[in-house]
Amino acid sequence: MNPPVPASGLSRRRFLSGSAGAALALAATPPLFSIGASAEKPLRLAVIGFGAQGRVLVEALLKVPDVRIVALCDIWDYARVYGERLLKSNGLEVAGYRDVEELLAKEKDLDAAIVATPDVFHAPNTIACLRAGLHVYCEKMMSNTVEGARSMVQAMRETGRLLQIGHQRRSNPRYLVARDRLLGEARLPGRITAAQAQWNRAVSEDLGWPKKAAIPADVLAHYGYPDMHTFRNWRWFKKFGGGPLSDLGAHQIDIFNWFLGRLPSTVVASGGSDYYKNHEWFDNAMVVYEFPLAEGTARAFYQVQTTTSSGGGYFEQFMGTEGTLRISENPSLTTIYREAHAPSWEEWVRKNYLRANAAPAPEPGAKVDARETAALATYRLPVVTNKAIHQYHLENFFQAIRGRAKLNCPADEAFHSEYAIFKAIEAVETRRLVTIDEPVV
Amino acid sequence: MSAPLTPPAAGLGGPTLAFLVLRLWLGLRALVAGVEKFSARVTIQEPLLGADGAPDPSGAIVEIEKKVYGISHYHAVPDTLATKFAEEPLLPQLLTRPFFAGLGPALLVLGLLLLLGVATRWTLFAMGALYTFLTIGLMLIGQDAGVSWLAIHVGLVALALTLAEHNRLALTRA
Repeated sequence: MNPPVPASGLSRRRFLSGSAGAALALAATPPLFSIGASAEKPLRLAVIGFGAQGRVLVEALLKVPDVRIVALCDIWDYARVYGERLLKSNGLEVAGYRDVEELLAKEKDLDAAIVATPDVFHAPNTIACLRAGLHVYCEKMMSNTVEGARSMVQAMRETGRLLQIGHQRRSNPRYLVARDRLLGEARLPGRITAAQAQWNRAVSEDLGWPKKAAIPADVLAHYGYPDMHTFRNWRWFKKFGGGPLSDLGAHQIDIFNWFLGRLPSTVVASGGSDYYKNHEWFDNAMVVYEFPLAEGTARAFYQVQTTTSSGGGYFEQFMGTEGTLRISENPSLTTIYREAHAPSWEEWVRKNYLRANAAPAPEPGAKVDARETAALATYRLPVVTNKAIHQYHLENFFQAIRGRAKLNCPADEAFHSEYAIFKAIEAVETRRLVTIDEPVV
Repeated sequence: MSAPLTPPAAGLGGPTLAFLVLRLWLGLRALVAGVEKFSARVTIQEPLLGADGAPDPSGAIVEIEKKVYGISHYHAVPDTLATKFAEEPLLPQLLTRPFFAGLGPALLVLGLLLLLGVATRWTLFAMGALYTFLTIGLMLIGQDAGVSWLAIHVGLVALALTLAEHNRLALTRA
C-alpha cells in the first residue's frame, strides 16, 4: 500500500517502506476488534513509570485480554503504592520496585515492558529492558535528545526485540481509515496544499504533591532531580523533557509525516516563555514546515498553546483543492469539508467512509464580502472507537509479540518522524530556518 | 348479508373508475401511514468493509443508520408532537393515550378493509372520523399545516362517500 500522498525522492525510501510494510502486514492479520475471544497464555508485563501517562496506559491494559501486569516500577513510593492498590482491586498482585535494574534482576519471566517514565529515562530504561530480552512499548517522545532516541533504535536492532513507540494515533481505526481510505483511496482533499494542527490548553497550576509523600532528597538526587517541584513538573525542564512541542506536538506532527508520507524539508518556528516564569521550556510555539510532495509543496502549520484553550481544541487537518480533512482523537472535533467544485463524494458515502451532515439553513446577510467562499458542505467520519484511545496501539504491540501483526509504530519509523520535532525545537531556539535532512540511525 | 363478490360491471364508467382510484389512494394512504408508525431509524455498528467485502484491515467499525420495522418501534406521532399533545390541557391523557395506542392499528385495518372493499361506506366513514379526531388535536396544538393536510384527506373521504354507489371490485357490497 502506498502512502496517501506520493512522496518524492529516493532518500525517503526507508521511511516509506516501513510504513507500507506495516500496512501490508496489518492487512494480513485479523481485524483488531476481534481480539479478545482467545484464551492464550497471558503475556507477563512490567509497567515502568506510574505517573499520569502510566496510569492511562494501565487503565487501558486492564481492558486488554491475555496480558497480565506482574511488576510495577516507580521511584515515587506514593504513586507506586497507589498503583499496586489499583491493580490489587482489579485482581492483580504485582511486585513493586523503585529501580528498573532491580526489577530486571528479580523478574525473570517477563515478556514485555511498558515504559512511561519522564522522557530522559526512556532511552536508558528501554535499552535495559531490550537487553534483558523484553519487548518494549515506550511512550513518546522517544527521548529528550536525538542521541537518546537514536540509541533506542540501535538497541532495538541489536537485540532483535520489538520496540513500539506510543504514537497511538497510528493504531486508531479512525486515523487508519482517514489516512488509507479518505486520503489514500478517495483522495478527498484533491491536491493537498496545506496542513494545520494544534493543541491549545488553558493555563494550569504546576503539579503539587502531598508534603508527607515527598521523595527523600537523596533519592531525588540519585535520579538527577534537584527538588520535588522539578520531579512533579519535569515536562517543563530541559534536562527531563522536550516541552510542549514534544509533549503535545509530537503526536500531531507525527500525523503530518505519517499522512503525507514523508518528512518535511524545512522548518521555521517561533516560541517563547510568555506566561510561566518558573519553566525552562517555552509555553507557546508556532511552527511552519514545508513538505515537498510529488504534486507540489504543501506547508504545514503547527501551534501549541499552553496559555489559552481557545481556537478549537486539538486536531490535525489536511487542506486541499477539493476538500479538507480535520481529524482529532476526539470524534466530535472531526469534520470533512467538501469544496463546492469537488467531484461527487457519493461513492465514498456509499462505502461508509463518510456520512453527510445536514446542510445548515442559509443565513440572510451572512456574507459581508463578495469574495467570501460559500460555506462548505460538511461530512463526518462514521468510524466509532469503542475502546480507550491507547488500547488499539497496545493491542497492536501484543499482536506483534505473538507474531500476528507488524508494529504500527516501530522505533525506527518513530525516530524519523520525531526527528522533525527535534528540528522544530531547534528552529525555535535558533530563530532560523532549519533544513531537515534524512536522519541517520 | 351481501353477495360474496361483486361481479364486475359490464362497463366501467367514469364515476366507477373515479371511486376506484379514490378507494385505492385512500386505502394505500392509510395502510402505509399505519405501517410507518411501526418504523424507526436505528444506528447499528458494523465492520467497515473493503471493495472485496472483507473487513477493512484497520478493524474499523462504522455506525450505519438503518430503517427498521417492528412492533417495539410503534409510535403514534413524532416525539415533538407527542410532547405538545401531552402539554395541551384540553387533551387529557385519559383520551389521548387510548387514541394514540389505537391509531396505528386502526390505520392498518381501515386501509386494508378499504383496499379489499369490505364494508366500504362504513370504512370510509370511520376513516373520515379518525382523521377528524386527529385534526382536533392538531388544531389545539396549533399545527396549522397538519390541519390543512388532514383537511385534504377528509375532503377526499367525503368525495369518496358521494361516489360510493359506484363501488365495484369489492368483497362486500355495502
